[in-house]
Amino acid sequence: MRYLTIIFGVVLSLFSSCNKYLDVVPDNIATIDMAFRMRVTAEQYLFTCYSYLPNFSHVASNPALYGADESWRYDNSYPGVQIARGSQSIVQPILDRWSGYTSASMSAATTGSLEGTVSTTSLWRGIRDCNIFMENIDLVKDMDQSEKDRWIAEVKVLKAFYHFYLLRMYGPIPLIRENLPISSGVDEVQVAREPFDDCVDYIVQLLDEAAAEENLPITIEDRTTELGRITKSITLSIKALVLVTAASPLFNGNVDYEGFVDKNGLTLFNTVYDPEKWSRAAVACKDAIDLCHTAGHKLYTYSLDARSSQVSTDTYYKMNIRGSVTARENPEVIWPDVGRSTTTLQRESQARLDAGTANASTVSRGMAPTLKMAESFYTINGVPITEDKTWDYAGRYSLRVATDAERNYIQPNYTTASLHYDREPRFYGSLAFDGSVWFGQGNFTESAPWYVMAKLGQYSGGASANRYSVTGYWPKKLVNPASTYAASVAYVVVQYHWPIIRLADLYLLYAEALNELDGPGEEAYHYINLVREKAGLATLQESWENYSTDPGKYLSQAGLRQIIHQERTIELAFEGHRFWDLRRWKRAMDELNKPVYGWDVSQRETDLYYRIRELYRQEFRTRDYLWPLRELDVIVNENLVQNPGW
Amino acid sequence: MKRIETIRPIMDTKLLSDKTIGLKGLPEPLKAEIDGEQVGLTGTLKTSVLKLFLLLTLLIAGWSQSDAWAQRFPIKGEVVDEGNSSLSDVTVQVKGQTFATSTDSEGQFTIEAEGESVILIFSSIGFAPQEVVVEKEKSSDPVIVRLTPEQTALDDVVVVAFGEQKRTEVVGAMTTIKPSELRVPSSNLTTALAGRVSGVIAYQRSGEPGADNAEFFIRGVNTFGYKVDPLILIDNLEVSTAEFARLTTEDIASFSIMKDATATALYGARGANGVIIVKTKEGKEGSSNISFRVENSLSAPTKNLELADPITYMMLHNEAVATRDPLGVRPYSRDKIANTVLGSNSVVYPNTDWQKEILKTYTFNQKAHLNISGGGKVAQYYVAGSFTQDNGMLKVDGNNNFNNNIDLKTYQLRSNTNIHITPTSEVIVRLSGIFDDYTGPMNGGSGVYNNVMQTNPVLFPAYYPKDEEHAHIEHTMFGNYEDGNYLNPYAEMVRGYKDYSRSTMNASIEFKQNLDFLTEGLSLTAMGSTSRYSFFDVSRFYNPFYYQLVPGSYDRKTGVYSIDVVNPLSGTEYLSYNEGQKEVSSVFHFQSILNYNHTFFEKHNLGGLLVFLMRNNLQGNAGSLQTSLPYRNSGLSGRLTYSYDNRYSAEFNFGYNGSERFHESKRFGFFPSAGVAWTVSNEKFWNPDSKISKMKLRATYGIVGNDQIGSPADRFFFLSEVNMNDATRGEVFGEDGAYSRNGVSISRYDNREITWETSKKLNLGLELGLLNNKIDILADYFTEYRSNILMTRANIPTTMGLSAASRANVGEASSHGVDISVDVNHYFSSELWLTARGNFTYATSQYEVYEEPVYPNSYSSRVGQPLTQTWGYIAERLFIDDAEVANAPAQNFGSRPAMAGDIKYADVNGDGQITTLDRVPIGYPTTPEIVYGFGASSGYRRIDFSLFFQGSARSSFWINQSATAPFIGTSSGTIRQNQLLKAYADDHWSEENRNSYALWPRLDYQANSNNQETSTWFMRNGSFLRLKQAEFGYTLPVTLVNRVRIKNVRFFVNGTNLWLWSPFKLWDIEQAGRGLDYPVQRVYNVGIQVSL
Repeated sequence: MRYLTIIFGVVLSLFSSCNKYLDVVPDNIATIDMAFRMRVTAEQYLFTCYSYLPNFSHVASNPALYGADESWRYDNSYPGVQIARGSQSIVQPILDRWSGYTSASMSAATTGSLEGTVSTTSLWRGIRDCNIFMENIDLVKDMDQSEKDRWIAEVKVLKAFYHFYLLRMYGPIPLIRENLPISSGVDEVQVAREPFDDCVDYIVQLLDEAAAEENLPITIEDRTTELGRITKSITLSIKALVLVTAASPLFNGNVDYEGFVDKNGLTLFNTVYDPEKWSRAAVACKDAIDLCHTAGHKLYTYSLDARSSQVSTDTYYKMNIRGSVTARENPEVIWPDVGRSTTTLQRESQARLDAGTANASTVSRGMAPTLKMAESFYTINGVPITEDKTWDYAGRYSLRVATDAERNYIQPNYTTASLHYDREPRFYGSLAFDGSVWFGQGNFTESAPWYVMAKLGQYSGGASANRYSVTGYWPKKLVNPASTYAASVAYVVVQYHWPIIRLADLYLLYAEALNELDGPGEEAYHYINLVREKAGLATLQESWENYSTDPGKYLSQAGLRQIIHQERTIELAFEGHRFWDLRRWKRAMDELNKPVYGWDVSQRETDLYYRIRELYRQEFRTRDYLWPLRELDVIVNENLVQNPGW
Repeated sequence: MKRIETIRPIMDTKLLSDKTIGLKGLPEPLKAEIDGEQVGLTGTLKTSVLKLFLLLTLLIAGWSQSDAWAQRFPIKGEVVDEGNSSLSDVTVQVKGQTFATSTDSEGQFTIEAEGESVILIFSSIGFAPQEVVVEKEKSSDPVIVRLTPEQTALDDVVVVAFGEQKRTEVVGAMTTIKPSELRVPSSNLTTALAGRVSGVIAYQRSGEPGADNAEFFIRGVNTFGYKVDPLILIDNLEVSTAEFARLTTEDIASFSIMKDATATALYGARGANGVIIVKTKEGKEGSSNISFRVENSLSAPTKNLELADPITYMMLHNEAVATRDPLGVRPYSRDKIANTVLGSNSVVYPNTDWQKEILKTYTFNQKAHLNISGGGKVAQYYVAGSFTQDNGMLKVDGNNNFNNNIDLKTYQLRSNTNIHITPTSEVIVRLSGIFDDYTGPMNGGSGVYNNVMQTNPVLFPAYYPKDEEHAHIEHTMFGNYEDGNYLNPYAEMVRGYKDYSRSTMNASIEFKQNLDFLTEGLSLTAMGSTSRYSFFDVSRFYNPFYYQLVPGSYDRKTGVYSIDVVNPLSGTEYLSYNEGQKEVSSVFHFQSILNYNHTFFEKHNLGGLLVFLMRNNLQGNAGSLQTSLPYRNSGLSGRLTYSYDNRYSAEFNFGYNGSERFHESKRFGFFPSAGVAWTVSNEKFWNPDSKISKMKLRATYGIVGNDQIGSPADRFFFLSEVNMNDATRGEVFGEDGAYSRNGVSISRYDNREITWETSKKLNLGLELGLLNNKIDILADYFTEYRSNILMTRANIPTTMGLSAASRANVGEASSHGVDISVDVNHYFSSELWLTARGNFTYATSQYEVYEEPVYPNSYSSRVGQPLTQTWGYIAERLFIDDAEVANAPAQNFGSRPAMAGDIKYADVNGDGQITTLDRVPIGYPTTPEIVYGFGASSGYRRIDFSLFFQGSARSSFWINQSATAPFIGTSSGTIRQNQLLKAYADDHWSEENRNSYALWPRLDYQANSNNQETSTWFMRNGSFLRLKQAEFGYTLPVTLVNRVRIKNVRFFVNGTNLWLWSPFKLWDIEQAGRGLDYPVQRVYNVGIQVSL
């Protein structure tokens, strides 16, 4: 039995070393604390907070690029197009920044290697990371307090912006002031939506705190490494946008939301109009503009560079609008999106420009401005085509042959619709159409420019079932003139910094706020005219008095409101603003319940091509003003109420 | 059960028979030397040497003891079972004398005896002992003995966890089957499990060589964790399914499946999903034996997909566009359709049957196995090698000098050596290696099949014929369209090839020490083993040059057309190469077993077992720090058995296991189990002559643990997983994006509370032998209750902003079922026999506790539903017209509103819209609840014949709408367009044929989200019955073969998957939703089996 004991002993001693045997985890396994031990890793966490910014320049990520009535597409593969076609639902909310849910059809559209991949990430995750950052940044040892303060200010702005982005989509939202621990009980985590005005106040509070931080720079000094980071100018501009949005009819005294309460009976929307909100918005706009001016921001004007010879004023004004978006040195951009590629967008928008590349698959991938947008631009006299006394509105679809005088806009002797003649420079700068001149694409001479030839069988026309403009227009404004394509496959995209907020936007927001607050006035006219001046147009007073059938329009609040709305539509066309503007103006029910028109692009003959073709009948219901919450989110969180109508 | 003796004269053995000698008179050392001499010699050579040696001995020593010597003579023979299969390891003794031997792996034996007439006793586990009288005069004829299964199987020993037990003492639920039952004409052992082994649910989804493993579960799927398949042990070493699949049946000595708690308890942590224990053969003392088996098989898909003809394809594609988008551009002009109908110029109007271009209709596979075994007193060996070659169904381009078809060669080598270093201690060394060499298409066989199914038949030919203009071109002018971005499956297939090499090497050493000198019945076994795995692949390929017809170049009058290269820059004529995956891993395993077994006072049998084991698994390319850390298990387990008089037995087992995945405080789990058995038929009151000749009742209950929860990547639940350098969470700043930093992300939050998933198992078993054990019935009823199943917390809203799910051990699930097997053996006469066997497994499961939101309707909840239940919409029918769509509850799936001819779903909750809340449990679970098989073998003299049927029932599957939807493309990079299945072309909703119950809804030219939703529309019943295998064999008469000194030759023909009964006709139903993949194969096999 002695041996037996020994054997048992051996077995048991083996076993006692077992626990150690199973302890395979060495020290230094990464934990979240490590992110805040050194400045280098803390900086990575700062960048993480930034990484949740939606990709504003990507057609599959920004609903505003396709989601309204500005651009159309031959198919509905992009989420924005699906929204425009009224496919939003509670089962699979499109571009759902709340749950981060990505619908199958969207991922199919965006996994194609040509399009690049885009994911919809829940912004609540971004907010959580912002909170983690602010909770822990103090732990970092090798950093100055001043730099920490700057970073905290930046993260506050991001946190405010993420809240705002959700607020604009969904209306009242829960506010995540602080993170709840993961182990929190169900009652704690099931947060409820807070009243809209409280949400605005909280967002503004965060922005004010950041703006008050002296270490947050007014503008970026070190552009090579920091361009794109949050500045004080950006902070105040976001605040202006937030307050204008909050003062706008959708959220300011909107009786449609009468009786919208949460499960405890809390009223989530104000339904009484409060003019004070416009006052707050106007002040915010003015503060932002003033700070931006201090920071050196000014409206963009085309400067000649080594590539080009002297250009005509036609081209100069055309390039003013194109450069406002795509120029590399662009003092107008307050908040540039530096990190995101514009490749997909440029491929979408670039028309094929010569017969040798008729098969090019990398360009002309579908973004097609609607006829409505083409008609929105002013005449050469700076007034709407419906109002211009000198412009033949009724005969706008008749055909007309271009003369040599129009050579900077349209190919001489080419026949195209009358609609394309005698329009303001921004029309020719923003749009390409059958017969139009395309300045750039490696060719900066005015004498032998590229021409768009868009009828079926011509090189810009429908070469295949999925690479053409379904309306006959291209958003030239979104293509960097320096981008080139030569061989059948290669498209050399020259990136630009997408303007999330630019100065013209602020000017027009300010004019709008002033008009809503006190009606027309010189201050409002001044800022509108600055934008018009850049576009090569006379002041609005002159233009309306001399050319409009309604010369006194700008003198009334309602008239000036219309003018401002149209000015925003033109100046900011295709940049993702009209989608939100129509909503906050509460004009979507009118504008987005109309058919979408384009030219009959499947025709080879000129007279057949220039027939109007109805592409789609858009349908917009009251509920569409706000995004639906995903059904599952409402089921999981018992304190959450679904948006009205969904 | 009559014995069969066949005694025929074969050769002149006058010399020996006249004056035969025995070894009896020799001094002991010399006798040992003679025995030892036999080691390592082939059978025939050995016999000759022996004869020579005996002759010499006779000459030298003959005088002195001539009387004794004169009596001695050799007897040769063979032992087979009732199915004419050779029986190895049968003990052969001469009654009343000391001579003894055992049969080799081919059932052959040679023994010597003295006297004019002797009685040979043949005995083997599981068979009734037999005595055969052999006359010295006739001893030159080989003795053929057929053993019949033992009637009362009292002393039958079965393999159990870490040891063996007498069958009467077994209390747990287990199935042991004869290795010969698993012999199928496939190189994949897993394909043999379905329907053959009671308690196993199995099905095979693909027939691609190298990727044709069947999925199998013991007693069904009982948890919703990731690990649902059983633990597989070959010679006590845990192996992967892939390695198990490659095991050759010839090498298997025993095959057992452990199903309940007591049977698996000793494996503790890893036994929750059942255990498969395989032991490979070992050498036996005796002459060395060689046997080999060669097979050649013809393999063809069980069913080919039927596609619509190209004209229909074009017409319906046009219809799809026109019917969905009146403004849309029709893809094919009238001219193109008309000319294709006329069969005009096939280059200009291509009409490509991609199946024909790419796939062969059948292929041949080869298989060979050779083994040698034998040994002396000190050492015994078993050495086996096998080779299989599986070929794919793909064609090869004549232009290439490489083979792009699938060619999978598997080599196996196994060597088991037992060395008795002292009378009480033994060392066993086992070495084995499995080596796969594969050459095949770049994307694998399934990739090629998928490509074929995703290519438009009328856009371009596989390649263009070389015209004058291109006569100088060396490369194949592959067809393409537009920019050359279309998928050309032919080009994809022949553009290159991939080699992969997979090696698994196992080495183990086991030491057994009998400790009878301490106390009788005690022994110690220690085993250490290591297993090394490596895999790499490398591909070589060129970029095809694509050509297209220059648009408008075709002149109808002259027939002249011109083709032009599309990708002059990116195409290459030379090969490039790409290094693929490289995987290496290493496993170390150690176990020691202390075993005690003793019988007291004749009737009391006491047994005890204590096992300590530890296992270390290291991955060479794990992909992340946490997965790169060693995977470890360690534990102590034990068993205590007591039985009385072969009537009552009781057993207690425990496993005490640790897992490195859990926090220290939760690391170890204790899993006890116990059971009792009562062999009623051994009681005195039992009438041994009753129709029920045997009856045994068993009951067990126990707890088993499982640490394989969550996902394999979740190594340490108590640690958070943080990626400190996550590119997807990075950001870029500065002009030209000059300054970028990656971000930080969390993919798991730490949770120290996470611990073992536990399973409480109850098993009630009944064993019956009827009609003198001609019919043997084994039935088990089981229930199982799993708790602590790891689940994602469902009540945390997205507003928490978590980047990873928060989880807890909260899920519970139960299951129950029965498994029954029936065996019938009957001998009509000594030459005509029949055996039949059937088995049936039913297993069902349900969610008991499932963390989910509070649904407004009970049908949304998983609780009470089977674990593999599918939720979906109830499809009422197709919409009759647009007015009905407008008035029906809104179904906004995806981007386009539903139209007439789209699927109309039922608004179950009546809220006026179709949302996730209208989804209800539909159909049966996706894993079949019933799997059964039955078959019979019969033999008459030297002919044998067997049939085996296999079926499955109570499962549902879904036709993959998006994978089979015609015209749409599903993938990236290249443009793909699905083929049109003939069945869809023939039966779909159209404006002309408004059939609301058509097989396919309104055609669409792009993915249709409305019709893609999981619903009853595309749900099909997965039940089937198939003739799984039939075999016909013929054994040559011994008289014939022995002239060329061969012991046994058997020819056989068999076939697998010969016939299928199922209402589903589109493709082989066993592939379920994966109908467009590499098809399940029907195999016809011819072979020869030879023993030397």
